[in-house]
Amino acid sequence: MHSFGYRANAVLTFGVTMLALMCFLASLSDTFTVPTTSAEVKILNINWFQKQANGNDEVSLTLNVSADLSTLFTWNTKQVFVFVAAEYETPQNALNQVSLWDGIIPSKEHAKFWIHTTNKYRFVDQGSNLKGKDFNLTLHWHIMPKTGKMFADKIVMTGYRLPEEYR
Amino acid sequence: MAGRSEFSASARGVSNCSTQSYLCRGDSHVFPSSPVLKARINEMDWQGQKHAEMLMQIFLVFSAVAAFGAGYLMHDFRLMMLIYAGGVVLTALVTVPNWPYFNRHPLKWLDPSEAEKHPKPQVSNITSSSSSKKKASKNK
Repeated sequence: MHSFGYRANAVLTFGVTMLALMCFLASLSDTFTVPTTSAEVKILNINWFQKQANGNDEVSLTLNVSADLSTLFTWNTKQVFVFVAAEYETPQNALNQVSLWDGIIPSKEHAKFWIHTTNKYRFVDQGSNLKGKDFNLTLHWHIMPKTGKMFADKIVMTGYRLPEEYR
Repeated sequence: MAGRSEFSASARGVSNCSTQSYLCRGDSHVFPSSPVLKARINEMDWQGQKHAEMLMQIFLVFSAVAAFGAGYLMHDFRLMMLIYAGGVVLTALVTVPNWPYFNRHPLKWLDPSEAEKHPKPQVSNITSSSSSKKKASKNK
């Protein structure tokens, strides 16, 4: 603590260490919240269902995604990234996950939402396995914090089925 | 005042100071009255340094605790950061400049006439350095 520069450096270094400790505690406080979320995805219409020139099945859906994710937002939440994925099994792959739609929820006010849309990303299979396929639609979310650990979770909704024949 | 006796030693032209501080310069006989200017002239004395370090740690830990508490209770991350930034600035203002408060126990340097009576012992470098060179060559 001998000179001006030495003391200034000490204040800044110790200050940054305390800042790191505060951010760690802020992240830790996130683990104490127990969120209750609800979500529902309805397939309103299967727009078309074709086999592409390269042999892969493709389907176009109109979805209605409604969810209430407001309990996920804490004081340490920057935004929540949400996406809907179709999950199914094929003889080649034990699990296929195809992302159909995603969005960013910037604040708690926007967390209870309802959206009516066609799939944002193409639902294409690796091969031709989708005729009459049973699949799940899962709503995944990633809670992106201001500081610290990112948590991710999902809701699985079962019982969806694609048509037996191409349309 | 203790400060004046140190300056008068340098004004006599005898420089026995072991530090490179302003005490050893001839122009340091001008003693300002404003605390802000006083803070720039001397280095902190040892007691003051220890006190400054303790104050720095206490202020910063308290700022961090207060900031986290306020932010957590008000559910406002930005508030936490603002309170903490204010705390850091306050700590820097209190502990970094060399306030006169940190110079209340200055060291009394030895009076020059007294120092001349006790000359520093002369260390003979010739024999010790040649023997150490021999040892180094043996080890190689």
